[in-house]
Amino acid sequence: MSWRDVILVLGGFAAGFLSGTIGIGGGALFVPTMTIGIGLPQPVAQGTSLVAIVPTSLVSSVTHFWHRNVQPEAAFWMGGGGVVGAVLGALVAVEVPGPILARVWGGFLLFTAYRIGAQAFRQPSQKVG
Amino acid sequence: MLIPLQVLWAKVPQRHANANSIVAILPIAVAALPIYYFRTRTPQIDFRVGALLIAGSVVGAYLGARLLKQIPERQLKLIVMVVLGVIGIKELLIP
Repeated sequence: MSWRDVILVLGGFAAGFLSGTIGIGGGALFVPTMTIGIGLPQPVAQGTSLVAIVPTSLVSSVTHFWHRNVQPEAAFWMGGGGVVGAVLGALVAVEVPGPILARVWGGFLLFTAYRIGAQAFRQPSQKVG
Repeated sequence: MLIPLQVLWAKVPQRHANANSIVAILPIAVAALPIYYFRTRTPQIDFRVGALLIAGSVVGAYLGARLLKQIPERQLKLIVMVVLGVIGIKELLIP
């Protein structure tokens, strides 16, 4: 096992851990692990990331169902809507330059971080629910 | 996208929002994978690299999902804020 392999397993672990706790797909960490970590080209990293997201989200989902963290109806409707949105989004995405898409997405994430952070600071500390 | 939709607009508690989000991502990723695979003449996927990532990620995903219930709502929101903020800054600066 080379250092390259160790970087991939550790990067995968970190991405999986965030997927389980935060609920993000993992691509945000899978891709830089491959591009910055081992120098894989961006298109290959993006395609490989999709392959890794499926088993990762499957393990997270089963564990969350087991621990009763999931609201099945909400997840069902978001998943169904998401499939339609993903196809429509892909059609739009091919028409817009990648860097512009990434910057719009980055701005949206920062705004979301600000709003969720504001909620957290307004909320008093409480026990686990 | 799925997390703010639930937390900011539907007022879903953060713990459920995170879990619902990852469950909803599963069918989206399953639907996107064949489109990505068959769209290109030469599929841009390195299966050996994918297998090594998965070896780490499934362990991390299991431990992370188990830990979720132990983290108080407020701390969970702060963690989400930091992670989304860091990714957002990265996308803005290095698109």
